[in-house]
This record gives sequence, structure tokens and C-alpha cells, in this order.
Amino acid sequence: MFAFSETSEKEIEKQLVKYPPERKKSAILALLRIAQQQNGYVSAEAMEEIGRRLDLSPAYVESVCSFYTMYYTRPVGKYVIMFCINVSCHLLDCDNLLEHTAKKLNIQVGETTADKMFTLLREECLAECSRAPVMRINNDYHVNLTPQKIDQILDSLK
Amino acid sequence: MPKKTQTETVTLTIDGKTVTVPKGTVAVDAAKTVGIDIPVFCYHEKLGPFGCCRMCLVEVEKMPKLATACTQAVGQDMVIKTDSPKAVKGRQGVLEFTLLNHPLDCPVCDKGGECPLQDNTFEHGPDLTRTEFTRYNRDKAVPLSPVVTIDRERCIACQRCTRYSDIVEQETALVMVNRGFQNRVQTFQDRPYDTRFSGNVVDICPVGALTNTTYRFKSRIWDLDNAETLCAHCGVNCNIVVGVRSNEFMRVQAKSGENSQANDAVDDGWICDKGRFGYGFVESSNRVLKCRNGKGDTLEANDALGQAATQLKKITDEHGPQSVGFIGSPYGTNEELYLYQKLFRQQLGTNNIDFKTYRQTPGLPVEHYDVGDIETSDMVLLIASDPTEEAPVLDLRIKKSVSFFDVKLAVLNDQKTDMDKPAASSLRYNVGSEAEVLSALIEALNDKPVRGLEKTAGIAPKQIKDLAATIQGSGKVCVIYNPAALTGSASDRILELLQTIGGLPDKQCGAIPVAPGTNAVGALDMGAHPNFYPGGLALSDSEKIKTLWGDEAPLQPGLSALEMIQKAASGELKGLVVFRANPVVDFPGGPTVAEALKKLDYLVVHDMLETETTQLANLVLASNGPGYDDGTTTNIGGRVQFRKRSLVREDHPPDWVLISRMIRALDPEAPSYKNSFGVTDEISQKVPGYEAINKNAIKGMGMPRKGSACSEVQGNGAPAAEKSENGALRLRVANYLFAHDKILDASSPLSHHFKSSTVYLNAEDAKALGIETGDEVKVVSGDAEVSAEAEVSDRCNPGAALVPRVSDEQGLMALVGDPDAAVWVQIKK
Amino acid sequence: MTQLLFKHINVEGLANIDVYEKHGGYETLKKALEQKPEEILETVKASGLRGRGGAGFPTGLKWSFLAKDVFPRYLVCNADESEPGTCKDRELLLKNPHLLIEGMILCAYACRVEIGYNYIRGEFYDLCEIFEKALEEAYERGYLGKNILRSEFNLDIHTHLGAGAYICGEESALLNSLEGMRGEPRLKPPFPAVEGLYGKPTVVNNVETLCAVVPVVEGGAEAYAALGTEKSKGTKLVSVSGHVRNPGNFEVVLGTPTSEIIEMAGGMREGRKLKAFIPGGSSVPMLPAGKVDTPYDYESLQAAGSMLGSGALIVMDDSANVVKETLRIASFYMHESCGKCTPCREGTRWLHQILGEIESGRGKDENIELLQDISDNMSFKCFCPLGDAAIAPVLSGIANFREDYEELLSQAKAGAAAE
Ligand SMILES: Cc1cc2nc3c(=O)[nH]c(=O)nc-3n(C[C@H](O)[C@H](O)[C@H](O)COP(=O)(O)O)c2cc1C
Ligand code: SF4
Ligand code: FES
Repeated sequence: MFAFSETSEKEIEKQLVKYPPERKKSAILALLRIAQQQNGYVSAEAMEEIGRRLDLSPAYVESVCSFYTMYYTRPVGKYVIMFCINVSCHLLDCDNLLEHTAKKLNIQVGETTADKMFTLLREECLAECSRAPVMRINNDYHVNLTPQKIDQILDSLK
Repeated sequence: MPKKTQTETVTLTIDGKTVTVPKGTVAVDAAKTVGIDIPVFCYHEKLGPFGCCRMCLVEVEKMPKLATACTQAVGQDMVIKTDSPKAVKGRQGVLEFTLLNHPLDCPVCDKGGECPLQDNTFEHGPDLTRTEFTRYNRDKAVPLSPVVTIDRERCIACQRCTRYSDIVEQETALVMVNRGFQNRVQTFQDRPYDTRFSGNVVDICPVGALTNTTYRFKSRIWDLDNAETLCAHCGVNCNIVVGVRSNEFMRVQAKSGENSQANDAVDDGWICDKGRFGYGFVESSNRVLKCRNGKGDTLEANDALGQAATQLKKITDEHGPQSVGFIGSPYGTNEELYLYQKLFRQQLGTNNIDFKTYRQTPGLPVEHYDVGDIETSDMVLLIASDPTEEAPVLDLRIKKSVSFFDVKLAVLNDQKTDMDKPAASSLRYNVGSEAEVLSALIEALNDKPVRGLEKTAGIAPKQIKDLAATIQGSGKVCVIYNPAALTGSASDRILELLQTIGGLPDKQCGAIPVAPGTNAVGALDMGAHPNFYPGGLALSDSEKIKTLWGDEAPLQPGLSALEMIQKAASGELKGLVVFRANPVVDFPGGPTVAEALKKLDYLVVHDMLETETTQLANLVLASNGPGYDDGTTTNIGGRVQFRKRSLVREDHPPDWVLISRMIRALDPEAPSYKNSFGVTDEISQKVPGYEAINKNAIKGMGMPRKGSACSEVQGNGAPAAEKSENGALRLRVANYLFAHDKILDASSPLSHHFKSSTVYLNAEDAKALGIETGDEVKVVSGDAEVSAEAEVSDRCNPGAALVPRVSDEQGLMALVGDPDAAVWVQIKK
Repeated sequence: MTQLLFKHINVEGLANIDVYEKHGGYETLKKALEQKPEEILETVKASGLRGRGGAGFPTGLKWSFLAKDVFPRYLVCNADESEPGTCKDRELLLKNPHLLIEGMILCAYACRVEIGYNYIRGEFYDLCEIFEKALEEAYERGYLGKNILRSEFNLDIHTHLGAGAYICGEESALLNSLEGMRGEPRLKPPFPAVEGLYGKPTVVNNVETLCAVVPVVEGGAEAYAALGTEKSKGTKLVSVSGHVRNPGNFEVVLGTPTSEIIEMAGGMREGRKLKAFIPGGSSVPMLPAGKVDTPYDYESLQAAGSMLGSGALIVMDDSANVVKETLRIASFYMHESCGKCTPCREGTRWLHQILGEIESGRGKDENIELLQDISDNMSFKCFCPLGDAAIAPVLSGIANFREDYEELLSQAKAGAAAE
């Protein structure tokens, strides 16, 4: 069973007032995000609950959820590293940096470390191109990456 | 979605041909009117423009890009070219993309031979693919439900099915998940896709991705004979196409734009899953194939019908015409019912003719609206009707009207139904209080003060007044109601209500009575009523009756079906013919009905399936029924259509022949008919309102018969609903579409829909009774009891126990006595 | 150097309303409220301001297309900034959120809108928080809410976070996403100005466009129109990325030679020569070094065979291989195709497959023609412009840097011969 926590409920309230009452479907992205913030990922039960809240079929919720890349439908690590691999970063050698990161974490891209601390993902352009190479860990940007800087950042999170 | 009334037209040129069409028409449809077929995948007339497959690219003069003909609304003086080199290359490219990851398994694909992808490739496609990569691997043949299979690798992502689920059935059960080339059609977490209308996706899928599981690999389409006919399950009378091979049913499809022309006046091109998958009864092992006597000896049809006729005649000779009767069926055709009433009235001299256990008289004080009228109404008032369970495709039409044509839906019911969701307002009255509620509404419409109804009906006067105001403010009002769900004097009140609405200034009002059965409207029209001759002629209309039926025509009121059972019990009724009905299970009283029937001297049961009632018969006449016999039926909208047979029985006469021979057995002068239309022609002469009905007139779309005016609307006022005694709850029997009965037997592919017996209780009552959801309980009335699982819900107001009829075994009708009186039940753990 | 949007960009604490006001913030709004909405609209029209989100559509004209007398109307700010190479909106939102708020208020006032949404890409969670804080401050000072600065004008602005989908930068997909649907683009017409958010007339503008409204109204149409070229007025933020010494966002007057912008970014790296540049984000054709003096404006870049797009100047020096970068971009479009229409869904994947073969030394000579023909079959045949964006790097790469393709193809042949 999935239930929104008290904090989540408050956050939901704040989101719902943004939209006309008969358009509460607009809040689906926010509710998915809140569910994910609460549990780390969006479970099937969470989708059903969101459907109930917004008068949507659970299939609809899954359909929307699966369209966007920022929702995880399986548990992820405490820190999700989104590593930009788009052209501006690519020109500045992000491939090697990504490989470096993977090696350091001892996982493949797309995987989560055994201690559930880190998940490493490839990400399309993060819109910090003039400070490439870039990665985003949870909600924070890290720019002008070098192997040393990456090591430093990861070590500080351990 | 095309708008309902567009009168302005535009003229344009397509491939050099001049075309004039209503403004707003898309190019694909405009081209069709002059015989130019622009290939499409994602476009479907009933789903509206979408533009995702890009198959329909055409060149429009003065436009820099190719346009998609399915989204391009045509304009005055537009010049469209479907065959310019640019358009041809564009479409070829699109087809190449479409086929890029499509498996080439046409030889084993069910869609082979009727596949738009195949056809379009043949006509517009590239010769070979230029890809050298392995095709994208997707799931093959995964069951979406027990009756629908999906081959994801064949899917071309046209989104017809998902849009259908969203905008037509409005369940959003089938959706696209993921994006890009990884997108796929799916249900929530791959749970079964088991809506009431799931099968339509098979018809609209333009490739072999969605297939009918019961038909997979059964036949190649070129081996099929496809017959256009009608579904025989409910009163909508949806148009279907039956695929037959070697005199065997292979599949049922909706008659839609895919295979013919959809009948927009009836079903809009959709059918429900019962219609599509519930045809097993046609070839059921439970069929009555031969006539037999009570000892079980097989009889030749002619001997049997001869015996029946003479035996009945003998009884009337001995005991008078009141000693025999006929209980018909709303599942019979007009011809069958017409002939039976003729036999009983003319040859046996009795008006003991009926087909139902609820109160209803023929005729309406307002127009009888066609189903299509729903879309053009301003308001639909749905009373005591649960279309989703009782006439499913009507549910689709109402939802469509609300969503696309801004029709206001107001629901008045004693139970929660699926129609509450699309409804603008929805009033739930207490079980049994409908007469009172209708009276109050009539008062409000007459601008009289509305008395307090909270206690008795559970509704505030303000709600009634608001509803009245909405009705007063709507120009065209369509009232849809289920006559069989109205208790007490509500059957009079509803007519009074119609009269009242119809009498309001600047008002157009019509009604659609939605009673159970395929042909309840036709049955009334054909005079299967103890007090009315065909065409709604009341017995008091003796002059007209004599002109039509001769001086001998009986004018003494007959017995209703339930009175016949009572008189059978008392021994006054000696002989009875039961035609395609199973009173032992379906009539109030259940087992007591069996006791009554056993007292008859002579019981003839004319049916196609063995039932509890055939077991009691002195003579069983085999009935062909739908599938094997031709005939017309009149749907809930008063539209007469032809139900063509698709299978042939060489060894047994059609029912209309059998009945007409019974008549001839007693009157050698009586006509014999060349075919069923011969009977139809007689109906057109003998049944007021059917004058214009004949073979040609009803071809294709059918034709509305003229409804009769109702004789007089009775009395006024309604007694307050009866009071409960010692904590008893009032029983409400509800309907369930997929009830496990003789029609949907255990072998049905729809058996996954079967439900166990459940009693719905309001939280208030459940608490008082100490009952929780999931408790096994007994619903008790007098000596009768029915087991059920309790479910606490807001399906009905406090004071009632609602039990859907889910199977014949449930024995629910044992609880019911006089259908006009309230049934009080105790819920016991 | 004329700086309109970036004038105070590096002022410490500019995101704070006090600092913003100290530097003249919300003064323009105060003056604007003394004028009639139509006058503001006229000013924006006359200024020649064009949309900075990619298409370059005249902003005032777009506003004037709003369906007459249909209310409510909506304003939606497009802060999806998803075009690869573009990072200017991020800097504006990060450092100067009040400029956007002021711009949105001016737009709403001119267009008689009472509800605005800022659709912020999901990855910009940090910016969403900054923006919400700024909104709070603006409400407190009476710049938002009911009777703004005691006028009759009301406006509420809300944030709406996306969740990771490039296509949601396309305005109609964005509206679907804002309505709680999959971010698939909508059929046009109807355009958002007629039937946009919730079926109501809607203005959709890019962050930079809305920010630019402030200096336009502040300095007047004439002053703004005095900057730039005949058809490209004012200044433009250019995100310079890739092989330059000091990548960054630069505000330039439209018409500035591209080479000068590269110089602003520190020029080429030590010992490296310019090979190629993409002037307007990954969706526009790439140009060879020889065109580097092209004035950076809408019409000149178009004449040079590319587009100004979102103003993302991606620079590649001679260490870059065009096929490899094209493959990378192709992979992006394959990943971001929403899947709704066939040519884009299938075409982006097929292009990627073929480019992958070529890049990994398994290509065939015919592949080049095939790439071109697939592109032609996608060109203007997809549901939305994403498909056209996807073919731009492919076609321009083949046209301008065929040698990179041929080199890989001849390697492939040599490899095959050796086997
Ligand atoms: C595939 C695609 C992606 C787009 N992404 C963005 C974007 O990230 N930000 C943006 O402002 N406009 C983007 N646009 C342009 C918008 O559709 C729209 O034209 C713009 O928001 C209008 O604002 P403007 O007139 O101020 O430029 C995109 C367009 C397409 C076709
Ligand atoms: S399953 Fe059929 S109808 Fe559904 S999207 Fe695929 S091809 Fe279209
Ligand atoms: S039929 Fe026109 S785009 Fe699909």
C-alpha cells in the first residue's frame, strides 16, 4: 500500500491550488514527483493512489509517468547522478569522464551501487553547456568536471 | 469529431474532380465522396483527426509542405493532389518507415486479407525495404485479456486503440507507455484489458496487432462468408457482421467503417463484448435441437406443432378461451410474436398474451426518439436505467453526446451507475421511491411547491427544483428510462412526466424506453399484451379492432404473464405456451412458478436452449432463434431492422414457419408465407405504425416505425414509499451484463467476467447490522434465501439491499413476490 | 557593448528583490501600468522583438493573435530550455528571476492575462525554488496578486516543473504537459493564441523573450529597434559552448559577426583551428569554418544555410569528427522523439543505426545517399519540427564535411579488404 506522508500532503495541497479545480489533472507531474521524493521511486501503488486523487485511471498515470525520464519506477540509489552526454559535453570528453565515474563507483552506467548510494545515468543536455562537462546529482548541478573534481564530489557524498 | 449540424458547404478540387462537402470536412472524407481513397492508418472517422501515422500525405496547392489529408480541413477552392510525385514519394517514405520494424508474418496473421497495412503497401508502398538491421523485437501474441490478444511487434503505434479507450469507452484502460520507438500499447501494469467494450479495438486496429483470441488461427478471411445482421442480446440491436465458415460461427465484428458502413442511427459502429464474444449459445451443447414430448420422445417438427395446436384448441373447446395463454419473450422477432398473438387471438380467442413481468403499456405521450436523437438533444434525463449493464452501446452514445456535443446528462436513479461520471447532475433516490420522486418533479415542472422528500426518498426539494429548472431551460429533452426498473405507480408517473415535459413551452421532448430484451418495443407493438392489440390498439378501441381483426376478435381483457402463473397455480389456466422464456428462473417467485406450471394440463415450451422450464414441459418445440432465423426487430429507439440469419438448419423449420403452421393447423385458410418478409408485409397491413415497413425500406440502416400515442395517462399523485418493518431492507435487483445464464454458459469465453453473488449495503445499514465487506451473508425473505457476499458501498441509499443478478444459480427471483409490492429482506450472517 | 538583459547579471544577490529594485527593477512595470495595455502591445510590436525560443516569430504580432474577447487567457513562459547547447535561460533564471517576473507581468498586462505559468524543465529544480522565492517577494511588494500596484490589473504566476522530455520545449507539447498529459505535440491549427492551455487563448514565450520585454518597454520601441539589423532587432543571448577557451553566455547586438562572438568566448583553444560551428543549437544545420564571419542574426544565418535557433553556438575545432558528433546528436533525437508520428519515431532510429555503422567502421558507400533519402522522407513530413531538427545535422554534416564520412567509409573498406 502506498500513502502520502504528511509532508507530501502539504506539498500536494500547494500544487493543487495552482490549477483550476476542474483541471487538477495538471498536477499529475507534481504528484508523481512528490511520490518519488517520498519513496525514492514511483511504485505501481503510488500510481494508483495518484489516479484516485486526480480521478484518472491508473493506466493513464502510468502512461504519463513513463513518458518522462525523471520518474523512476524502480528503486534507485540515494544519489542519482545524471551525467550529461550531449554534444557540448561530448566535445569536452564527457565519455571518458563518465567511464571514470563508472569505474570509481564500480558499476555500469544505468546501475546502482551495491550499497544503494549511487545510481549512474546517462542524461541528455542539462542546459549548462557553457560550463561543460556537467552532471547533476539529485537536484544539484556540478560543472566544469574533471576526473579530480568528480572524485572529490563523490567522496564528499559517501 | 464531426459536428452534428453543419450546413455550410465548400467546393474544391481533388485530383481534378470537383467536390462539394460540408465545411470542416477533412480531405480524406471529402475525397471519399468522389471515390478517391486516400490511404490512412491512424485516422478513424469516429475517433477524429489525429495525424500521427502520416500515411495520408497529399499535396495542397499553395502549401509549402505536404499536408495530412486526415487533419486538413478542406477550404473553398482548395486544390488537392493525391497523386503528384511529391505526394507519392512522401507516402512511399512513410510506408517504408511503417514497415521498418513490422514483422513480415502476413501468411500467419489473422488480419491477412483485410489488413490496411497490406493493402496500402500493395498500392502505395516501396518494393523492398532498405534496412539491413534486425527488426525491433517486441512481444508476440500476449493475451491482453481472455478474448483479446496483442502482437506488439505488429503494432504501428497509430494509437487508434488507445484513443478509443480514452474517448469512446472513456476508460483510459489501454494506453501508450514509454516514448519514441519504445512506446507500446499497454494496460496498467499489464493487467487484463477487460472493459465491456474491449473487442472494438480488434476491429479498428489497422494491422494484426490486436486480434480476437477466440478467432485467432480459426479461419482465413477469404474462407469466411460475412453476413450483416443484428446482435440479439439487448434492445440496442447493434449491427454486426458475422463471419461464417461451413455453417459455423467464426467471429462477430461490429458493422463499422472498416467492413461496411456503420449504422449511426443505432450503434455508431461499436458493439459490446457480449455481442462480440457471447454467441456461444448458437452452437451450445445445451441446445434444443429436436421437438419432444414430456416423456422425452423425439417428435418431428410438424407432428409436434400439430399436436400443440390441436391440444390447445381442445382445451379451449372444453374450458373456454380463458383457459389457455401465451407467455412470449422480448427476444422473439416481430414476426414470431405477431404470429403467436394471432394464433392466440384469432384461433384460440383469448387475450391471455404477454411477455413481461413489469407494468408497461404501449405508446408514449411524446415522440419515440431514435438513438441518434441523443446526440442532438440539449439534455438527456436518464431515469432508473443502467445502460452500461442493460444496453451497453447506449452507454457509449450517451458518453459521446456529453463529451463531444455538450449534451447535459441528468441521472435519476436509486443506484450508483457508470453514468454518474459523465452526468452533470445525478440524484440518488431511495429504493422504491421513484413514483414519489417523479411526482415531485412533475410538480416542480408545473411550478408548484415541492414537498419534503428527504425522509422518504432521500432527496431534497431543492435538488428536484434544480433538475426541473435544467429541464425547463433545455430546448430538446430526451428521456431514457427502464420500464422494468420502475415500481408501483411509477410506470404511470413516467408517462405523466413525459406529458408534462412535452407540454412545456418551446420544448421538444421524446423518450427512449430501455426495457430488457432484444425486442421489448417490438413485442409491445406486436400486441404481446393482454390489453392491447398490435399497434397499441386498446381493447376499448373495438371498432378499429373489428375492422382489422374481424368481428370475432376477443375484446375481453386478458391475463398478464404473472396472472397466468397465478391462474395456473389455482388450476383455472389449463394450457400454456412459453416461448423463449424461462419463468422458473426469471419470474418473481422462482420455485413457486415451477409448482404452478406443474399444475397445468398442458405446457408447451418453445425454446432454443434447455432450461428449468423446458424440463417441465409436456411438449418441447425446438426453436431456431437468432443466428438461424430471419426476422425483424424494433430497437429501443423504435427502429425496425432486419436480423438476417447467418446459419442454416436443414432439419428444422424456422420459428416463423413453425408458428404459422400452428395457425394453419387450426385454420387451413390462413396464409402461408414465402419467407419471413411475407409475415413482415402482413404486419405492415395489420399493425398501425408499421405501414411503411418492408424489406426494401429497412435495408441498410433500418427504419423507424411510427410509435403509437399512449391511450391515457393515469391519475395523479403517488403514495409515499412503504415503510420498513423491524429493520428489514428493501430489495433492489440490479442487472449485470455478463450474468452467467443459459446464454453465457460456463464454456463462454466471457466467463472471466462472471461474478459471485453479492449484496451491496450502505455503510449505515451495514454498521447497524454488524456486517463488513467480505462477510458471507444470507438475504432472506419469507422462506426464500439467497447467499451472497456483503459489500459495503454507497451504491444505494440507506434502507436498501442491492443484489445484482449474476447467475441463474443465484436463485434471486425466489425472494421476489408480487413485482408491484416492495420486497423486504433481512440480511443474516 | 550594449547590455540589456545582462546589464546587472553579475551583481551580487540580484535574485533578491531589494537588489533588483536598487538597480531599477520594477520601475518599468510602474510606468507601464500608467499606459493602456494596447500601448504596451504596440510598443512590443514596433520594437521588432522576435521570439528567442527558436522560431524567431515576432513577439508583438503573436500577442495580437490572441482570440478576441475570449477569457480567461493564459501566459505560459517556456523555461524548458532543452535545445542542446542552450544555457542562457538557466543563467537568467538563476541570477535574475525578477527580470523574468517583470517581463511576464508586462506581457500579461498587455495581453489581458490574469494567470501565468512558468513551465520549468524538471532538471531545473534548483531554479524553480529560486523562482518561487522571487515570486513570493513580488507578491509581498504588490507586483503580483490582486490589484497590482493599486491598478485594476490582477495576475497570479505559478511554477510548473517538467520531468525530463526535450519535446516539452515545443509549445504545444509543453501545453499538453502542463495539462497533465504526455508531452506529445498537438495538431496545429489551432495555434495556442486561439486554443492553448485548457483550450483558451494562450501566449507562449521563451524566458529570454519575456525578459527582453522589460528593456523594450523601458527604453521604448525606437531605442530597441535601433539595435541590430533590418529584421533582427535588439540583443540576443548567445550560449557559446564546445571548443573555445572561455565558453559562456554573451549578450550581443544582433548582426555581430559570429567570429567576434567566438572571440568573446576566448577564441579557439591553443593550437587548434575552427572546423565547424552550429549557430543555433543542435537542431540547426552546422556550418563550416569558412562561414564564421556570418553576421549573427536571423536572416544572415538563414542565408548562410543555417538558423539562429535558440542562440546556442556550438564550436568544434579540428579535433572533432563531424560523424561522431552527428551520431551523438542523432542518438539524442532518437531518445527524445515522442514516438507519436511514424517518420520521426522510425526515422530517428534508422538514422542513428546507420550513423552508428559508419562511425564504427562498418559503413558502406551507399549509406550516405540512404541517409539523405531517409532525411528527405522525414523532411517536413513529421508531425512537429523535431523530425526536421533531427535531420539538420545529418544533411548539413554530409554537405559540409563529407570528408569525415568518406574517411570512415574508406577505413571500413580497408578493414573489409584486410579480412
Ligand atoms: C522540438 C522543439 C523544442 C523546443 N524547445 C524549446 C525550448 O526548450 N525553449 C523554448 O523557449 N522554445 C522551444 N521551442 C520553441 C517553442 O515551440 C516556441 O516556439 C517558443 O517557446 C515560443 O516562444 P518565443 O516566441 O518567445 O520564442 C522548441 C520547439 C521545438 C519544435
Ligand atoms: S495496437 Fe493496433 S490500433 Fe493500437 S496502436 Fe498498435 S496498430 Fe494502432
Ligand atoms: S491517417 Fe492521416 S496521419 Fe494517420
